[in-house]
Amino acid sequence: MSSPTSDAAKQKFQPLHRSWQRILSFLFPSENDRWLTVFRTGLGLQVTLYALFLRNDWHNLFGSGGRGLVGRELGEAISSFDSPFIPKLGWLIAAGRNLNMSEEAVLTVAWVALLSTGCLLLLGLLSRPAAIVAWFVHLCVAESGGLLAYGADNFMTTALFYLMLSPLPDRYSFDHWVTKTKPKNSQALGFWRRVLQVHLCFVYFIGGLAKCLGNGWWDGSNLWRSLIRPPFTLVPPDLLVHFKYVLPLLGISICLLEVSYPVFIWLKRTHWIWLGCILAMHASIGLMMGLYLFALVLIVMNVAAFGVPNTSSTAQASSGDTNQ
Amino acid sequence: MFLRRIHTAWFGIHFFLVTAVCLAGLFWLIAEGSTILPPASAEYARKGELVASWCLGKEANASNPVRLTIAAYLHAAGIQAGYTFFAPNVPNHHQLNLELFYDGDRVEYESPRVHGRAAALRLDSLLDRLADQRYEPIREVIVKRLAFSVWREHPDVKKVRATFGSINPPGMNEFEQGQTETFQPMFSFDFSVRGEEQQ
Repeated sequence: MSSPTSDAAKQKFQPLHRSWQRILSFLFPSENDRWLTVFRTGLGLQVTLYALFLRNDWHNLFGSGGRGLVGRELGEAISSFDSPFIPKLGWLIAAGRNLNMSEEAVLTVAWVALLSTGCLLLLGLLSRPAAIVAWFVHLCVAESGGLLAYGADNFMTTALFYLMLSPLPDRYSFDHWVTKTKPKNSQALGFWRRVLQVHLCFVYFIGGLAKCLGNGWWDGSNLWRSLIRPPFTLVPPDLLVHFKYVLPLLGISICLLEVSYPVFIWLKRTHWIWLGCILAMHASIGLMMGLYLFALVLIVMNVAAFGVPNTSSTAQASSGDTNQ
Repeated sequence: MFLRRIHTAWFGIHFFLVTAVCLAGLFWLIAEGSTILPPASAEYARKGELVASWCLGKEANASNPVRLTIAAYLHAAGIQAGYTFFAPNVPNHHQLNLELFYDGDRVEYESPRVHGRAAALRLDSLLDRLADQRYEPIREVIVKRLAFSVWREHPDVKKVRATFGSINPPGMNEFEQGQTETFQPMFSFDFSVRGEEQQ
């Protein structure tokens, strides 16, 4: 039996309660773990390629002042100014010194660690420890070489950060095959996929909005400048000139595609069109500008977030305890 | 239910920080006058940037634990910078030319080098940062180190003159008329065995 006062109070808070339920159902949808398989293997490939692409310059980029290109001390000082709690290679080198390891040996170990964790993630062996080590070592490298970092590093850090927090291992990993782990909570899987999806919406909306504010994207001159800008000059300018009337159209399309991503990627009718266009844009960036790692990490994030259909029956089947 | 609340709270805080970082970056671009918005918007953008920075704890004392914790979290999650790549416009490319002076008036020209393409991208990213006014205090140190990296391979060099500049590409129509890119020097430093002097 409830009193009239409590009924009135309940009615008063009903809209609030309904909104809260709506938020919860948005944040915790039922998902299977196929997206996580794509995310894990994609990032495994990304980390492996990252280590392989930098193998010849590793010591030169991240060595200390006397040996490296600019020395990692400067990047580490800037990052320490931001916060002394930010991990950096200097920590690993200091720890190595206690074990009588030289700086070069520690840098080599860090490189081997990145390469190995990349391979482990690809296979799905020791998935969670591999994701944590990959995130930590990559973060150390990205912070120590902060002056030499570019967009791909930030996306890699973010993607590895989300991966290590996601409910690993997935069903298609070696871990699952070896230890026969129980299926993961489908709502936890749904939550982490939502995080990735919302993050990408921020990335494209802000990127698109900032581009819309530049006049060069409306007349195609920014596309021209970005494609003839060393070291991205993979397409000869003579060839580009033939497409001079297409460049403004492409520039405007990129602005609109990015700024409207947070809306059209969620709508059933436009979902695959927007995803296809975004993937095509990143593939073009990779192939025409040589930004392979930048393109790959964003393709992996997009495919994991929006490219793997969620079959609800499978989601239900893989659901463990739904009450978190 | 408890875990779900924790997840929801984290989601809220995380994306609040992402929003603040993105807005701070966007407002900074507007305040710098590099967008198509009218100059009058710069003042509002500066205020907006201040609010966003305040949310990130950047207005607090440098040793404030809240500020340090937020900064560490932003870096750990890779969300310390906004997503304004190649925006609002594509910046100029930058180059560092090194003149190596040997005994007997012999001069050679070099640039800092790396082996792979992935590292070359990083070197370019560094050079583009140097052009930014915010990096002015550390320009000389970085140029000196880059010059030193070349010097190590040419130990008999007596003096190095490092000239940093911007490369202005031709527009599409200018390119069709046969124009090529131009180098616009921005600053230069002379380094010798005994010390260095700025020009």
